Amino acid sequence: MAAKNVLGIIFSNAYDEVMPELTSLRTMGSVPFAGRYRLIDFQLSNMVNAGIPQVGVITKGNYRSLMDHVGNGKPWDLSRKRGGMTILPPFNTPETGMFKGKADSLFGSITYISDSNKDYVLLADCNVICNIDYDNLVKAHIAKNADITIAYAYGIPPATSSASEFVMDENGRITDDRYVDCYSSEVNYSLKIMVIGRTLLERLLYEAHSARVDDFETIIRKNLSFLAVYGYEVKGFVRTLESLRSYYEISMELLKPENRKALFASPVYTKVRDQFPAVYGISAKVKNSLIADGCKIDGEVENCILFRGVTVAKGAKLKNCIVMQDSYIGDNAEIECVIADKSVVVKPNKKLCGASNYPIYVGKGIVI
Amino acid sequence: MAMKPECIAMLLAGGQGSRLGILTKQIAKPAVPYGGKYRIIDFPLSNCVNSGIYTVGVLTQYQPLELNDYIGNGQPWDLDRENGGVHVLSPYQQIKGTEWYKGTANAIYQNINFIERYDPEYVLILSGDHIYKMDYSKMIDYHKEKNADCTIAMLEVPWDEASRFGLMIVNDDGSISEFEEKPKNPRSNKASMGVYVFNWKKLRQYLIDDEAKEGSSNDFGHDLIPAMHENGERMFAYQFDGYWKDVGTINSLWDANLDLLNPKVDLNLDDDTWKIYSRSPAAPPHYIGQNAEIESSMITEGCDIEGKIDFSVLFANVTVEEGAEVKYSIVMPGTVVKKGAVVQYSIVAENAVIEEGAVVGESPENMADVNDWGVAVIGNGVTIGKGAKVAPKAMVDEDMGGAE
Repeated sequence: MAAKNVLGIIFSNAYDEVMPELTSLRTMGSVPFAGRYRLIDFQLSNMVNAGIPQVGVITKGNYRSLMDHVGNGKPWDLSRKRGGMTILPPFNTPETGMFKGKADSLFGSITYISDSNKDYVLLADCNVICNIDYDNLVKAHIAKNADITIAYAYGIPPATSSASEFVMDENGRITDDRYVDCYSSEVNYSLKIMVIGRTLLERLLYEAHSARVDDFETIIRKNLSFLAVYGYEVKGFVRTLESLRSYYEISMELLKPENRKALFASPVYTKVRDQFPAVYGISAKVKNSLIADGCKIDGEVENCILFRGVTVAKGAKLKNCIVMQDSYIGDNAEIECVIADKSVVVKPNKKLCGASNYPIYVGKGIVI
Repeated sequence: MAMKPECIAMLLAGGQGSRLGILTKQIAKPAVPYGGKYRIIDFPLSNCVNSGIYTVGVLTQYQPLELNDYIGNGQPWDLDRENGGVHVLSPYQQIKGTEWYKGTANAIYQNINFIERYDPEYVLILSGDHIYKMDYSKMIDYHKEKNADCTIAMLEVPWDEASRFGLMIVNDDGSISEFEEKPKNPRSNKASMGVYVFNWKKLRQYLIDDEAKEGSSNDFGHDLIPAMHENGERMFAYQFDGYWKDVGTINSLWDANLDLLNPKVDLNLDDDTWKIYSRSPAAPPHYIGQNAEIESSMITEGCDIEGKIDFSVLFANVTVEEGAEVKYSIVMPGTVVKKGAVVQYSIVAENAVIEEGAVVGESPENMADVNDWGVAVIGNGVTIGKGAKVAPKAMVDEDMGGAE
């Protein structure tokens, strides 16, 4: 297993700005997803399933919910004496202030990186949802004798300002990495997941620090002709969150069995809540939905994702909705195309309706 | 020992549960799945930690592999601790020879050394056979308040069932005046729940005396407790009100599961102040398909349902294909019910496959003679062939061919 010689680094805050609704109270990593998970679960599980023994989680702001979720790493078997999971809080000096880009944030944790003594470092963001075997990625990196290997997918790129597309030669070496200018045609777009030699990473970080460059991708881009940077194609179900609407659409894609099969091809671990199984009442009518434990359903539910502990009272109708943990939909309430954050209450007989291309978001704890 | 606990619990989990037939062929009774995501032993273990008892010895003997695996280091119950925690205690080889646990009292006798290491004031004796939520700390308080040597938890059972239990005749002050073991004509309906609190020093002496006694069956109910009573020790009954069910038979296991769907039954497992913990599989939320119909049922993580489910309890990772029907049944983890198959009034154990068009079990209304009716049971990993019919009350523990 090549992955045992790898240090995993997860950026829990990267791209927070693309979904301000869901990330104003939390990090990207702790955004609830797929009924019982947080986004970071997918990256942590990918790393653990590949056999990566040590993972650092870089945090920036609002990371209480993240800390609460990951705890000491036990659900991912990352509570260990050797390696295991470490939360890397921002490292600020009076001169630098809060870090801005990835290079900055990695530099703040550079001692942690060098102390790991691993030969390779794998960098990943939480807004990429996939189930990939990182062991194969590392093997490909070693086989090509690459300096850096970056994962990419073919398709419509995510509509983020930093989305980039690769131009590669016949060997898969990246010759150009340019910002996407047209978001409607299919290209080889970057998933921003990369493997890099640890000593090379350290060197690049020192250079970036002295040159005051805070964006790590800019450094790679500048060095494309000096370094052997290769692409690694990821096929199958891989999605990048770019907006609230994409959150909604990607969630709904999980109602298709083939997508669920792909995303849960190897186990995805999460914090256990020890809740009772979901209970369906006599008047329950449920169609094409994902339902988590702890739900109580007496109403009608169609094309929905219900997180743990959601109550759907008698006569309530839910269609095309995502309802997060512990929310309550009252008697005869009707909601359609709604994303309800945690602990939302929709009182009896209320009606709320969004559109499939513009779902209504209801913030945490709001009573309607 | 850093901290001396006031009370430790000893959980008797060695029983075979022979009346559960093929369900306990390979696992001990306390490891039998219950309620969608639990096993029976989750109840006494969770009761312990919820009552503030963090040192638990689990005595295993019959088919311990799955049970040991399940308990592991005790992490799901917060029992992975530096001080105390859960300890699996199996019979072991000794200098004078090797002995199995002969009876419940002998099992504790053989582990006197374990208890001595903690040197507690009180020892709580539990069994892994019952479904109930109980605050043991209140019972221990009662024991102290009465200055008792032994306190036995009791429950009032319906009079017509009383003769199945060990009964107690209790004085007004709560002290026990007489015991009756499964009498034909009961004079009391106060049944022992098999939950005891002892003063450790007293219990220790009685265990040693009982072991030395010729002809003793080394059982708490038969030997040790009557001996204490004869000697005039202070013995009290502690009344428990609430749901308590022995799941020792197929019918009672089936009933106890379906009780969870009955809002009138006083067993709320959706209680944040008294959670029942369990080791859970890493499975995504369950999926209810386009044509599925679900009514009055409990479904948990990893299930994939396209068929019709009525008044049933489904465990993790169960698949019910389109056109299949599951009603009044308990379906344990990993089982697949294929297209057009019917599972009714049945218990299907783990990882079984019910092939297309097979029919398992029968509704009591359709029986010519209702006395022939019973819950059908499909064993672990068994395949029921295409179109096969499994009669009510049947126990199938080998693959069954299809009806050609």
